[in-house]
Amino acid sequence: MKMKKILALALSGLLAASVLAACTPAATPSAPPASTPASAPASTGGAEISGKLTFSVWDLDATGYLQKLVDAFKVEYPEVEVEIIDTPSADYTNKLGVDLNGGAAADVILIKDSDTSYSLAQKGQLEDLTPYVEAEGIDLGMFNGLASNFNFDGKQVGMPFRTDYYVLYYNKDIFDAAGVDYPTNDMTWAEFEEVAKKITTGTGNDKVYGAHFHTWQALVENWGVQDGKNTIMGPDYEFMRAPYEMVLRMQNEDKTIQDFGTLKAGNIHYSGAFQSGNVGMMPMGTWYAATHMQKVDAGETDVTNWGIATIPHAEGTPAGWTVGSVTPIAINAASQNKDAAWAFVNFATTSAAGTAVVADAGQIPGSVNDELRAIITNLEGMPEGAAEAYAVENITLDRPYVEYVNEVNKMLEEEHGLIMIGELDMDGFIEKITQRSAEIQAG
Amino acid sequence: MAKNNNNVPAGRRKGMKLGTRNTLVGLSFIAPNFIGFFIFILIPVAFSFVLSFMKWDGFTEMTFVGLDNFVKIFKDQYFVQALGRTLYYAVFAVTLTTFAALGLAVLVNKGIKAVGFFRSSIFFPYVASTVAVGAVWRQLFMKDYGPINAFLQLIGIENPPGWLASSKWALPAVIIVTVWKSMGYFMIVYLGALQNIPQELEEASALDGASKFQHFWRITFPMLAPSTFFVVLMNIINSFKAFDLIWVLTEGGPGQATTLMVNYIYNNGFNTTTPKYGIASAAAMVLFAIVAIITIVQFRVEKRTSN
Repeated sequence: MKMKKILALALSGLLAASVLAACTPAATPSAPPASTPASAPASTGGAEISGKLTFSVWDLDATGYLQKLVDAFKVEYPEVEVEIIDTPSADYTNKLGVDLNGGAAADVILIKDSDTSYSLAQKGQLEDLTPYVEAEGIDLGMFNGLASNFNFDGKQVGMPFRTDYYVLYYNKDIFDAAGVDYPTNDMTWAEFEEVAKKITTGTGNDKVYGAHFHTWQALVENWGVQDGKNTIMGPDYEFMRAPYEMVLRMQNEDKTIQDFGTLKAGNIHYSGAFQSGNVGMMPMGTWYAATHMQKVDAGETDVTNWGIATIPHAEGTPAGWTVGSVTPIAINAASQNKDAAWAFVNFATTSAAGTAVVADAGQIPGSVNDELRAIITNLEGMPEGAAEAYAVENITLDRPYVEYVNEVNKMLEEEHGLIMIGELDMDGFIEKITQRSAEIQAG
Repeated sequence: MAKNNNNVPAGRRKGMKLGTRNTLVGLSFIAPNFIGFFIFILIPVAFSFVLSFMKWDGFTEMTFVGLDNFVKIFKDQYFVQALGRTLYYAVFAVTLTTFAALGLAVLVNKGIKAVGFFRSSIFFPYVASTVAVGAVWRQLFMKDYGPINAFLQLIGIENPPGWLASSKWALPAVIIVTVWKSMGYFMIVYLGALQNIPQELEEASALDGASKFQHFWRITFPMLAPSTFFVVLMNIINSFKAFDLIWVLTEGGPGQATTLMVNYIYNNGFNTTTPKYGIASAAAMVLFAIVAIITIVQFRVEKRTSN
């Protein structure tokens, strides 16, 4: 890269000199022109950036919009050739690690398991994007608070490409039948619990459950970290008490949700639960909207009368605060063509054209704003009111990107199972996760 | 090369002794198998042995840590618990599978009606896909709506166990499925052995006034010893390797109630984004040592008794 810059500098110097030379026969040694051509931010002109670029993605069949993204990029940067490297999602994270170690990884990489960003950055495998961001004058605030998650020791190693966050899906027919108002976008968890009681009806196979919590521990723990004050790393876990108490109450006393043990044993997928039409409300990620639209389109569900609301919040947390995750895009530190790589990353994450391609596919760009949100919520099949429901104030990450996060998460999964089936009481649960988390983080 | 020369008459080959040639021919026959074994088993096992003395996450440089990994796992309560659970699982799975297989073999050895049907239906679970078997049994074991508990309630058991949704009953449930799935195969082993027992012995013992039970216990069972040795040994090895069925049924849960040794190894080595290959390899070596010791002891005992 250095060589190229120097070369570009020299060439532009020569050019400038020859122009000057033409004007003034007496060759006056002039100050070399500012090095603008070489270090100019990519946005000043696509034509100046050229070369070959590789872009690593997973399951291109299912993520076809990435090809469209590349096509849109080529329109602005015709001199750059982008080759997509596709890997099956199950192998992606492993392969990326191996490729980065072996120096065979692509120039631009999507990081599938975003909590691995920390370890990749620790190994020095991700390029520090700070100088590019500064040269470009990008305000990282446009990423709704997501960008700082990829800033380790003052180095911005990734840009939030896509995000997903939790919203509340509901079945309007069930609300209509019970004569209860639809969930609002400023509902609290306490109200949610009450509404669930009101719309729960029937017994046995005909039972309609007021709500549905999938078996992931995130579906309970997220409401503890929602206010952004705590993370699943603890070290104190008192904040988990309230959400667990609520969900256990709903499961064991109110019986407004299906039993964890049954869901787990039956391996019941949340989409099946919601689509079967006997669930009133379901907290789930924004990714589910596309799935549900497809099912409605294909006539595979009776739940055609559905809605989306903002996720409920605890008393004291502002409405519109939710929990989510993010997929970062990064530049391989060993890339041979970093300027072109940056041009692509910049195009994909901050440009109107690039982010529109992402939004058009129903995916939420990291830099989502009202305009992009409108594209997504106006997609054919999205329920009315989705735009308001999607308009969140803050996205707290479900898991922080720090050391031992995977081990702690795995531990929480185990203990979550035990408290949900009633083998641990609340105090025992808090005590156990506090202790095990401390053990894990002690190394 | 040697293979191609197989059909060349021995006398015509020059410069190669008959012995050498035979060796080469022999080698060429075992080569395909051995090369596969060498590349896919021997090298990885040797590598894993080396790794058990290293600290390695697959990315950064390996560092030699001596016996640290072994000290660490034996100090790790979760490893010790997994080891304990594996022994519990092995004892019950081996005993129950062996007795079930023997019992079934004796039953279907006789001329009962539709014996072919029974034999195949008992053998069938062994052939069935583990994933499918796991999915079906998970439904059967459901706490509230499962057929097993419905049946138990029908016969008057008021609080049937939670099976897979209970730390206490999950491992017994897993053992039940294991026995059900593997007994068919071992039944076939016993069946073969039973049919090799000469009919005359039964007649002779009947003439001498032995009861059916005496005949079985004094004559049939001892004659089945080599098969029993095989069945028990294979079952022990299978028990220590147990993973797939458990993974489909419970993924090692609830909590860690069904996390056995292999599951522990898998969690440390692969089911994580920060692999601890050293720890996983050390645990694998312990597992290997246990199986090796049991096998050696069993061979010794078998030799002594058969002499």
